[in-house]
Amino acid sequence: LALRSVNSSRSAYACVFFSSVFFQQYCWAAVAEPCHKEKSSLPCKLRVKAVLPVFRCANVLGRNVEKCSISASPRDHHITFQLLCRHGVVKTYNLTFQECDPLQAVFAKHMCPNILKVHSRLLADVMIHFPTSQEEITLSVTPLKVSFKSYTEEDTDFSRTMVTEIHLSPEEFDYFQVGVDSEVTFCLKELRGLLAFSEATGVPVSIHFDRCGKPIAFSVEDMLLEGSFILATLCEAQKEERSQELCCPRQGGRVCPTVLGSHCTSWCPTGSAEPALWCSTLGTLPGQAAFPGKRHRLKAAKASQIINTPILYHVAPYLCKYCLFQFHSLFFGAVSHKEKDARGHSLQSLATASDTEEELGPVQSSPL
Amino acid sequence: MRFRAKIVDLACLNNFSRVINTIAKLAKTCTLRLTVCKLYFILSDKVANGGASMWCELCQGNFFDEFQMEGVAAEHNEIYLELVPENLSRALKTAHSAKALKIKLTNKHCPCLRVAVELPSLSSSSRIVTHDIPVGIIPRRIWNDFREPTVPDFDVSIYLPVLKTMKSVVERMKNLSNFIVIEANLSGEMNLKIETDLVSVTTHFKDLGNPPWASEDGCQSSAQGRDLESMAVARIDIKKLQQLLAGQQVNPTKALCNIVSKRIVHFVLLHEDVSLQYFIPALA
Repeated sequence: LALRSVNSSRSAYACVFFSSVFFQQYCWAAVAEPCHKEKSSLPCKLRVKAVLPVFRCANVLGRNVEKCSISASPRDHHITFQLLCRHGVVKTYNLTFQECDPLQAVFAKHMCPNILKVHSRLLADVMIHFPTSQEEITLSVTPLKVSFKSYTEEDTDFSRTMVTEIHLSPEEFDYFQVGVDSEVTFCLKELRGLLAFSEATGVPVSIHFDRCGKPIAFSVEDMLLEGSFILATLCEAQKEERSQELCCPRQGGRVCPTVLGSHCTSWCPTGSAEPALWCSTLGTLPGQAAFPGKRHRLKAAKASQIINTPILYHVAPYLCKYCLFQFHSLFFGAVSHKEKDARGHSLQSLATASDTEEELGPVQSSPL
Repeated sequence: MRFRAKIVDLACLNNFSRVINTIAKLAKTCTLRLTVCKLYFILSDKVANGGASMWCELCQGNFFDEFQMEGVAAEHNEIYLELVPENLSRALKTAHSAKALKIKLTNKHCPCLRVAVELPSLSSSSRIVTHDIPVGIIPRRIWNDFREPTVPDFDVSIYLPVLKTMKSVVERMKNLSNFIVIEANLSGEMNLKIETDLVSVTTHFKDLGNPPWASEDGCQSSAQGRDLESMAVARIDIKKLQQLLAGQQVNPTKALCNIVSKRIVHFVLLHEDVSLQYFIPALA
C-alpha cells in the first residue's frame, strides 16, 4: 500500500510504503476491466484535508480504536475508512477520490556519494536548536565534520536575524560516508514530519545526498514499512540552469516539473504492479509554498498541472477488500498486542528498530 | 570593545537562563549594559513600550566563571548593547545540559553576541551549537538615556502577596478588562480591582506588611504621617502587570511595590543575585 505526496512547488516529495504484512489482513482482487488492461493498480488521489480528520489525535486513536478498515470501491470512486472503536462505536468516513496518473520520483539513492545514517534521537536533538519558524537549513559535510546551519539569503538583513549552527562529529553517526564535500540547503519545515515519525518509532534515518542542487533523500526503513522524503536543494546562483537537459518532455503521463534550477527530478508513472506507497500527511501539507516557490532562481515549473495539491493514494490492490491494521502511538506505527493474528508474527516488531545497523552498501536501490 | 564570558556551572547557567526568560517576557528589545562587575538589562520609558520601564541588575560574579570586558574607552569602561532578549532566551533554552557556555562579542557582518554552547554527545568530541545574535552598539553620547531610575516619592509601599496567587488572579481578570486598579495602604492591605460595564471584581489581600524605608536625609518621607487606612490608587494596563508576574519562574526573596497615586507603580523584585525593578505608569 503506497501513499505519495508532493508539495505545490514540487520541491518535496514523500512516499511511504507499507508492505502487506503491516496489516492484519490485506486482500485485494483485481477486477478485470477492458480499459484498464495491464494496470493492476488504480492510482487515485484524495484531498489531504479530507483524510486528516480520520486520523487526528493519534493518542486518542491509540486508546479507543480497536480496528481500522480501509476499503476502496472504484466504481463509486469511494474509499471508506472505518474505525471500530471501543464500546461498539463505529466511525465511517466515505471519501471520494479522483483517478490520476501515479506519481513516482526517480531518484537513484545508490548513486549518491554521501550517505549518512543516524539515529532519530540525534536528528531531533539537532533540530531542536533551530526555531520552528526556520525555513531552510544547510547541511555541510566533509570527511571530518558535519554541521547544520540556519540558512539566510544573501540579501538578508543580518542585523536582524539570528543564525544558529551546530557542529557534530562523524562519530555520532551510525554510518558515515562522504564521497564529496558538499553543502546542501533544503527546507527544514518539509522534513519535520518525517523526523517526528522517526523519533516516535525509533527507526533510524538514512540521508542520501550529493552536491548542492541535487535532491536530498531522507528515508526510514523497517521490516514492514519504508518511507522516503525527497527534497530539492538550493543550488548556487552561479551554476547554470541545466534543467532543460534533464527534463524529459511530457508525453502521455510522463510529467517533468523542474524541481530546482539546475536539477530536474523527473516523475515517471509506474504502470507495473509495484507495491504502492502510502504517503503520510506528515509535517507540512502540500499547498504550503515551499521555499523554491519564493526564489527567483528556483521557480518550479508550472508546466505540469496534473498533480496538484491533494494527496496521492496509489492503491496497488485494485479492490482492497478488507484491510485491518491497528494503531499505535502514531498514525503509522500499528503495533498493538491486543489482537493476535494468524500471520501477525511480524507485527510485533514494528515498534522496535529491528534492522541491524549494518553498513549500507553502495547498491541500495529501493524502488521509489 | 571586547567582551567574553564563560559559564561552566550548570546551576548558574540555569539561573542565568531564568533571568533572561523573565526579561524576554517584559521587553521585545532592551539595552544590555556591561560593566566590569555587573550586567544591567534596561528598558527606558519610551512611548513605544507603553511608558513602562525596567531596570534589572545582576552581579556577573554570581553567574560567570570567566568574565572579561573592555569598554569603549578607558575612562568609560562600559559597553551598551541593544538586543532582542527573546533571541538570547532561545539560545539558552536548549542549553540546560550543557558542559559549558561561552558568550563573545563579535563583529563579522555586523555586531553580534556569539553564544557557543558545548553539549555532551555520544562520541568523544562534544557537539557545539553557536548562535549569532545580532546586537546594536549604543553610542556613548546617548548613554545618559539609560540611567538608573530613582525610586519615586511614593505614597504607599507594600509587600506583594504570593506571586503565584497574584498571577492567577490577574490572569483571570485579564479576560474581563484591559485595565486593573491597584490600591494599597499602610496597614498591609491591597486590593486588585477591575471595573467594566457589566461586572466589577475585587480581590482583597491583607496582612501583607509594609516595608520600612529609611529616607536618605533622615527626614520624614511623604509616606509618614499618612493615614494608615487611606489607599493609594493607580489604574494600570493589566497586560503589563500580567507579563511581569508571568515572567517570574522562581519566588523572589522580596517582592514589593511602591504606589504613587494616579502616577506610577514601581515594582521591586529581589532575588539572591538579581534585582528587578519595573515601572508601570498609571492611566487616567
